[in-house]
Amino acid sequence: MKKTTKNIITVKNLTKRYGKDVVVKGTSFEVKEGEIFGILGPNGAGKTTTLEMIEALRPIDEGEVVLGGINVKDHPSKVKEIIGIQLQSTAFFDKLPLIEQLKMFNGLYGSSMDPAELLEEVQLTDKAKSYVENLSGGQKQRFSIAAALVNSPTVLFLDEPTTGLDPQARRNIWDLISSIRKKGITVVMTTHYMDEAEMLCDRIAIMDNGRIVALDTPHKLIKGLLGRGFKKAQVVEQANLEDVFIDLTGKELRE
Amino acid sequence: MSKHYIRSVLSLSKAYMIRFFSDKTAMFFTFLFPLLFLFVFGSLNSGGSDISFRVALLNKSDSEFAQNFEQQATENETLDVNEDVGDLEEARDLMGRGELDSVLELPPEFGQIDESGVPSGSLVVYYSEASPQSGQTIAAVMEGVLDGINEELGHPEPPFDVEQRSTAVSGLSSFDYVFSGLLGFTILSLGIFGLANQMPAEKKTGAFRRLRAAPINSSHLIFANMVFYLSIGVLSLLMMLAAGILVFDFNMRGEWLDFSVMALLGIILMFGFGLAVGGWAKNDTQSSALSQVVALPMMFLSGVFFPRFLMPEWLQGITDWLPLTPIVDGLRLIMTEAKTVFDLGPEFAMIGIWTIVIYFVAVKVFRWE
Repeated sequence: MKKTTKNIITVKNLTKRYGKDVVVKGTSFEVKEGEIFGILGPNGAGKTTTLEMIEALRPIDEGEVVLGGINVKDHPSKVKEIIGIQLQSTAFFDKLPLIEQLKMFNGLYGSSMDPAELLEEVQLTDKAKSYVENLSGGQKQRFSIAAALVNSPTVLFLDEPTTGLDPQARRNIWDLISSIRKKGITVVMTTHYMDEAEMLCDRIAIMDNGRIVALDTPHKLIKGLLGRGFKKAQVVEQANLEDVFIDLTGKELRE
Repeated sequence: MSKHYIRSVLSLSKAYMIRFFSDKTAMFFTFLFPLLFLFVFGSLNSGGSDISFRVALLNKSDSEFAQNFEQQATENETLDVNEDVGDLEEARDLMGRGELDSVLELPPEFGQIDESGVPSGSLVVYYSEASPQSGQTIAAVMEGVLDGINEELGHPEPPFDVEQRSTAVSGLSSFDYVFSGLLGFTILSLGIFGLANQMPAEKKTGAFRRLRAAPINSSHLIFANMVFYLSIGVLSLLMMLAAGILVFDFNMRGEWLDFSVMALLGIILMFGFGLAVGGWAKNDTQSSALSQVVALPMMFLSGVFFPRFLMPEWLQGITDWLPLTPIVDGLRLIMTEAKTVFDLGPEFAMIGIWTIVIYFVAVKVFRWE
């Protein structure tokens, strides 16, 4: 992968309060152009809140986010124009065919992407006239990513894109994310799956209690831990149960 | 407004439109439901007058013949005599509202013995310009009765005849009254119930959250919905009008342009109420409760189903201020009395004030989630 040093997102002292609860506590980090940046952490760690503040979906209480040279707090609408968002619990209009949904988003963003091409990219060409409510979990997530690509975004945000999917559908989404990155789109994603983060992300930030507790490449994070003398209780096998599952059921999508 | 803004709004309206036309339940309630009402209420109110005529009998003569004639008329089965009517003014009012088909007047000299020694006189039949045919029918019936009397009297000059006079107020047929009310009901239910239920449902599914991720604000959403609701409102009213004209012989007396202006402003005002309720409500429990609270008083007190003139004076005074009242009144005045937009200053003023108030409230209380 081509290493760039240019930062596409700069987050400084980002803070969010709900009443007395401080959910995000002065978080700072940078995302580099063209990388896949992962935010990991247990439920309630503040991942989604952090993401939504960067996406201009939630007011920033304190701190600053600059995305592609635009200050998010000052120009929320301008930021929305250059980013693609896949929400954690995304819902789309019911009774509206996929192709029409994409046409609508085209209109909302003032863009002129070919909806059929987008559907092809996420392997949903044969579902162009289906409704979102009739799609499988994996198809829904793929459509959600297609909708986030309507405006040819500079940065694509994915909030737990593979949660609840079967192993085949997860691998399929991984391939899709990799192919999006190859086009030069920066990807910021959250996930609960360590294998996913290790496989996809160039760098990961681990969040806990509203703070980032570690930020580096997956490889360096593991090295660091081993360097501190960590040993697994059980000897690691060369394969795990998921490898067995995939070996037995194949990589092909089931939907 | 920029080109981009308009494109955003229209693409959203189009999406609403496509969804609406693939939702059979929504189409049923929007188009067929008001039509069903129309057929039920229309047939209740159009058949009655064929069987008997509702008339008032004003006897101004003290002759014995006139007293006798009055008694006969009251017992006649073709005539349904309203005996509470005191004078011509009151009778005209009732005819204006379609409660009476005609007024029979026996002038002071009716039935007096004239110089040739037989009773004579002219019976006056007042007819309403809204339904001259029922006036003519009554006149013909009366002529038949008087001809019989003439023959019995055997006088060369028939002493009794019938004179027809217009009340000069163009009154309403019962259907006309009901029809303007039903159009008001269509506008009300479309504006309030449609939107008030749809918006909270979309907040619940999260569809609004996704829309919000795009570079749009609440005004895009509001205008898009307005374009959508105006379109289906116009469609729905066209269907109602077609049914009214084809099935119930509705006869438009005013100008269609005046009617359209009033109907569009009416839809915009009622849409504001739906927007305020739907934009405020977090879920459909809140919205259905609130929309009932808002819509029911209008439905029952603005002259949709029950004519307002039947209400006590004090209640009429209050219901004058309901937002649907000027819409229903305005439509009726245009449809039945050929009033133009220039005659309806008070109605437009009331609609204007309500529109400003409700849109101000709607924008203030709107929430995305």
